[in-house]
Amino acid sequence: MAFSAKEENDSKLQKITRFPRELGELRFWSFVLVTVLAIYLMYIFALTSPVQGLTDPFYSPTILVLPLVAGFRATCYAYRKDYHRHLFRHPIGCSVENFNKEGDVNFPGEKVGRSYSGETGIFRLENLHRYFWYAAVIILPFFYYDLYLAMAYNGEFTLGVLLLILNTTWVTLYTFSCHFFRHAAGGNVDCYSCPVNKKSYRRTIFNRISKLNSHHEMFAWISLASFFLVDLYIRGVAAGLPINILLFRL
Amino acid sequence: MPEDYETIESDVLVIGAGGAGLRAAVAVNDSGQKVIVVSKSLLGKAHTVMAEGGMAASLGNVDPKDNWTVHYGDIIEEGVYISSWKMAEILAKEAPSRVLELESYGALFDRTPDGRIMQRAFGAHTYRRLAHLGDRTGLEIIKTMEHQVIHRDIAFYDEMYITNLIKEGDRIVGAIGIKMNTGKIFLFKAKAFVIATGGSGRVYKITSNSWESTGDGIGMAYRAGVKLRDMEMIQFHPTGMVYPPGVRGLLVTEGVRGEGGILLNTKGERYMLRYSPEKKELDARDVVARANYREILEGRGTEHGGVYLDITHKGPDFIKHKLPAMYQQFMEFAGVDITKEKMEVAPTVHYMMGGIEVEPQTERSNVENLFAAGEVASGLHGANRLGGNSLSDILVFGKIAGENAAEFAKKSEFGKITPAKVKNEIQYINSFFREDGKNPYDLIDRLTSCMSENVGIVRDAEHLKKALEIISELKKEFSGVGTKGLIKYNHGLLGCLELSNMLVSCEAITTCALMREESRGAHTRSDFPKKDKNWIRNIITVLGEDGKMKFEVKPVDEMPGEYKNYVKPEVY
Amino acid sequence: MADKEIDLKIMRQDPETEKVPRAENHKVPYVDGMVVLDAVRYVQEHTDPTLAIRWNCKAAKCGSCSAEINGMPKLMCKTRVDTIGDKITVAPMAAFPLIKDLVTDVSKNWEITRKIPMFTPKENMEVPWRINPKDVERSKEFKKCIECGLCMDVCHVVREHYTPYFGPMHIVKAASWDMHPLDSIDRSKYLNKEGGLGYCNITKCCTEVCPEHIHITDNAIIPEKERAVDRQYDPIAMLIKGIRKKEKVMK
Repeated sequence: MAFSAKEENDSKLQKITRFPRELGELRFWSFVLVTVLAIYLMYIFALTSPVQGLTDPFYSPTILVLPLVAGFRATCYAYRKDYHRHLFRHPIGCSVENFNKEGDVNFPGEKVGRSYSGETGIFRLENLHRYFWYAAVIILPFFYYDLYLAMAYNGEFTLGVLLLILNTTWVTLYTFSCHFFRHAAGGNVDCYSCPVNKKSYRRTIFNRISKLNSHHEMFAWISLASFFLVDLYIRGVAAGLPINILLFRL
Repeated sequence: MPEDYETIESDVLVIGAGGAGLRAAVAVNDSGQKVIVVSKSLLGKAHTVMAEGGMAASLGNVDPKDNWTVHYGDIIEEGVYISSWKMAEILAKEAPSRVLELESYGALFDRTPDGRIMQRAFGAHTYRRLAHLGDRTGLEIIKTMEHQVIHRDIAFYDEMYITNLIKEGDRIVGAIGIKMNTGKIFLFKAKAFVIATGGSGRVYKITSNSWESTGDGIGMAYRAGVKLRDMEMIQFHPTGMVYPPGVRGLLVTEGVRGEGGILLNTKGERYMLRYSPEKKELDARDVVARANYREILEGRGTEHGGVYLDITHKGPDFIKHKLPAMYQQFMEFAGVDITKEKMEVAPTVHYMMGGIEVEPQTERSNVENLFAAGEVASGLHGANRLGGNSLSDILVFGKIAGENAAEFAKKSEFGKITPAKVKNEIQYINSFFREDGKNPYDLIDRLTSCMSENVGIVRDAEHLKKALEIISELKKEFSGVGTKGLIKYNHGLLGCLELSNMLVSCEAITTCALMREESRGAHTRSDFPKKDKNWIRNIITVLGEDGKMKFEVKPVDEMPGEYKNYVKPEVY
Repeated sequence: MADKEIDLKIMRQDPETEKVPRAENHKVPYVDGMVVLDAVRYVQEHTDPTLAIRWNCKAAKCGSCSAEINGMPKLMCKTRVDTIGDKITVAPMAAFPLIKDLVTDVSKNWEITRKIPMFTPKENMEVPWRINPKDVERSKEFKKCIECGLCMDVCHVVREHYTPYFGPMHIVKAASWDMHPLDSIDRSKYLNKEGGLGYCNITKCCTEVCPEHIHITDNAIIPEKERAVDRQYDPIAMLIKGIRKKEKVMK
């Protein structure tokens, strides 16, 4: 039977926390940590020359491209999702609560919103993503060049070379699963076969990129992690640690 | 309780916002008359969304031999020779242009490799004929029509429950409605009315019909003296879900069989080879439904009372591409992966062939300014409906009804309304608010159980008489129902009002079923298992002057000689 | 299982007479395979017929019974009780004004729909139209939309803020016309200028709740954003478009 006890009407009880807030907090702090770490690694420890033929991916080809790479990632849809959610907390998870300035829950339907401009205002700059993508595509061959150098250094296939290959693969996948590339390569077309019997290569390309694109977020985070990993690894090698193990001779 | 009401005028009032109602409204709008659409649910949520398989039209894209005469023949044969030949002709001729019109409104259809509209096979159609979009054709149609209505700025009042029509002399002059989301009462004045409220499948317990299908249009028309026809003809869909109980009756589209699904009993036998060696699973719905019923009755069914429908042999990719909604439906409701497991199915109430009797060319009922289209109208489907014809029906006849209503409205004036009649109606609504009222849902539950048990897929005099007794008992008890609270969004009140309409449908269905002493199409009598030559007739139901239901039997309109060539002669 | 019960908490309020919602607790007998709508209807039919709910097809096809179940926007008819445990809270969608109990006023959806220019076929096409079967696929995904409004409800832009943003459901609708192979107009610039597309910060909550599993963000919103960039922000793309052909673009 129905009952509506008095305390049920108490407004505090109405504010049921429906979403595990702690989870949101955790992801927020991990985001901050990663950001701080990135800046730390980028600017404090400069490493400009190849060690045992291995070039640190951060400096490929020179430190000058770093802002471009950073820009590419900062305007990327995958990262946008994460920093809007976890850094700016718009929204806090996908919880269906309303939050006021203090982060408290409001009654449903009550809009005491925090100020919000989404991707308007200064964030219109995110629309520059495609230019960063062009830059990324220009930079990408240098990764392959570095890979070549590492292999040719003394004809050895080492653990470092393997890591560089993996890193280059992730970066390539990340670059070519980009939402803009998907759009430019075929997404902006509505009718691929007009007239109806026209053969369309753009549809094929679009469908393939769409498949890649559905993993874009994964590629984004893996390639970023791989960046740091390889960077650390090369620093280790530079510091004289015997970790650049020889796998086989080429 | 509210006493006052708001009056709204329009040239044509369309009651019901499914495919037929919306198409009628667009037709009136095209003719330049003012139209208002009212509906019981939200705009775009009508029962049309449930149609899955497709829309039958003899475009001949896949089978070039198809043309309107073949479609015509299929309709008459499936309707077991009691359909209106004229309506069948109109439908067969007009359906292709309605499909193309939909496409010009922005609806998408699946395509053939050369880019024309794809057509799929369906039960009892001679050729592949159903234009479709995956298994969501109904959704596509209603959304397309909904956007037409919205963009044409046609006025609509959704969540408006029409309780009754007001009749002065031999014309309808107004309709009383409750706006559920505000609790306000409205009087709609119009010159012509189109009823497109759908069927009354909800009078059965196990049904594929949505909440709305309680036969409100049939109830209000009947009370206004409109003739009903073929009310005993209820189509059972052979394949409804069986388990879990919460979704019992939910439709499993005929598309599954159209795409190659086969029916098996628990012994693993493909029993349709026995019942229908030629057409097998794709025979008429009544044949397959009775076969399923028989297998279950004779103990070759599953523990939940169903048979197996198997499409696993087609492979996961094919199934997910062709039947995505079915895949999802079984995955989410039953936890069954239809690409790997068999589905459990049993017959479920699906469609009402009977309804308001209309003139074939104009969709006008016996009341001169009342038109009807869609499932609420009758005539086209006779004793059984072809799959996919319902979607053609709503658009073809929705348009014709709208055009003729507009035509009528152009030539006539608003009728006068006696204020006392409106007052009476409001009092009637208010009379349900009482503390001691019986819960209408208890009565509805008893009524639907009674119908499912006694007026089901196979009927006999004993059970039908028992059902009539229960119905008349419930009619007496109806005077005691009531609800509490306020008028706004009060489901108790809706239950009361719906119950009164459901009782009308139930009484008509059961009595007509008792009268028709033969087995024809969807109507099967175990005590009269044969088809009878003398029953090429329609049973008409009408409100008698003494307030009791009156019935008359009349012969079917004879089709002209040349049309007989399109149809196989009837065999007994 | 027969005598198992579930605790159902329903948030009720008639805003005309009550200022704050009240939570009503009910015990509902559990039936195998039961969905939340069954439980709520059990209360309505057996305990309190004045409980306002909106439902229709009970087959996840009409999109009427949207509500917030244990804090997540879901269709009541599609949420099986055994997937969420036996303590269930049902609240109305908060992104829409409340009418009564679980019923909300979704009429603003019609107003927005009216603003979006609808399907406009290319001119001078031979009838019947021919469309390559593979070209249907993109628009077809959006045609699955049942307009349940769950994406609108979870969208923090629609929910928390006053912006011109139309909301994910309407972007999907616009995309279904934009990506129709025979449609002649481009709505992206219009959506960006009038429809507040820029207010969407692509946090993908709408994709998470969509009962039809439409990839709202990846396939509708982001492509529309990219198209808008083509037409509004990217000078090179604008130049190329300008040279290549004249296309009908909404203001």
